Amino acid sequence: MSKTFESISVGEELGPLELFVSRDQCRNYARTCAMEAPRFMDDEGAKLERLPGMILPGNMSLGLITRLLTDWIGSGPARIARIGATYRVPVQPDHTLTIHGFITHIHPENRSIEIDLWLENEEADRLVTGAATVEFTK
Amino acid sequence: MALNYDPEVIGRVFETTDPVEVTAEQINRFCGAIGETNPLYTDEKAAKGGPYGGIVAPPSFAVTFRNGRHFHEHVPRMGRGGFDAGKDIEFAAPIRPGDMITLSSHVKEIYEKTGRSGTMAFVVVRTTLKNQRGEVAAHIDHRFMSRI
Repeated sequence: MSKTFESISVGEELGPLELFVSRDQCRNYARTCAMEAPRFMDDEGAKLERLPGMILPGNMSLGLITRLLTDWIGSGPARIARIGATYRVPVQPDHTLTIHGFITHIHPENRSIEIDLWLENEEADRLVTGAATVEFTK
Repeated sequence: MALNYDPEVIGRVFETTDPVEVTAEQINRFCGAIGETNPLYTDEKAAKGGPYGGIVAPPSFAVTFRNGRHFHEHVPRMGRGGFDAGKDIEFAAPIRPGDMITLSSHVKEIYEKTGRSGTMAFVVVRTTLKNQRGEVAAHIDHRFMSRI
């Protein structure tokens, strides 16, 4: 069933969305998006850039946290109007990442809501944080 | 410590790229790369009955466009190294297969911030994506961080 604006309340949680991101998935994203910097391809390349090991492109993390929203909206009458993400700590592949969200504000005057988002590792460290605005069309 | 840069760089549009065509294949590959399965982006038949009347690109596809070969020449370097610190995106028109997308960019803001690990400089570059009809598809603020 599609989400409706009237059914939403502040504090409602989205997800969590749990994902294991492999090295191959990381490389595939980098190749797909023409971001083949050494740090996104293997540990040796990352070490040349003075990183402890291979990391995900920040834009890939953005894509993953956006998926929490697109999963939640489904084919419902809503669209993402804005999203922002801060890449706080490098995200490494071969880990299980969990993406969380919860609704912080509802604006009935323009039928929009605000959502806090974050991506965390197995130790619950928040590696990427963000916020989004979703607008409902009906 | 005051940051040293030419204030005239703020707001000056330094790049408009050649149009780049968006293909259904690119959208499909991008969906695969992030595990996106929403039928609005992946299933032509289902998308036809959806709010956009056909396949559109998922929102984060907007950050895949390259800013062009002169981009880094015009973005001031403020310190040691440099990292992508994050993005802020405002979405307008959806991006569809067949769209021809151009990008124009300018430095929006330069500021410094001191945290536990020291002082950092942030350069915010705003890029506007437009389609072949002149409609804005997205505004993207790229935040680059370097230690000073």
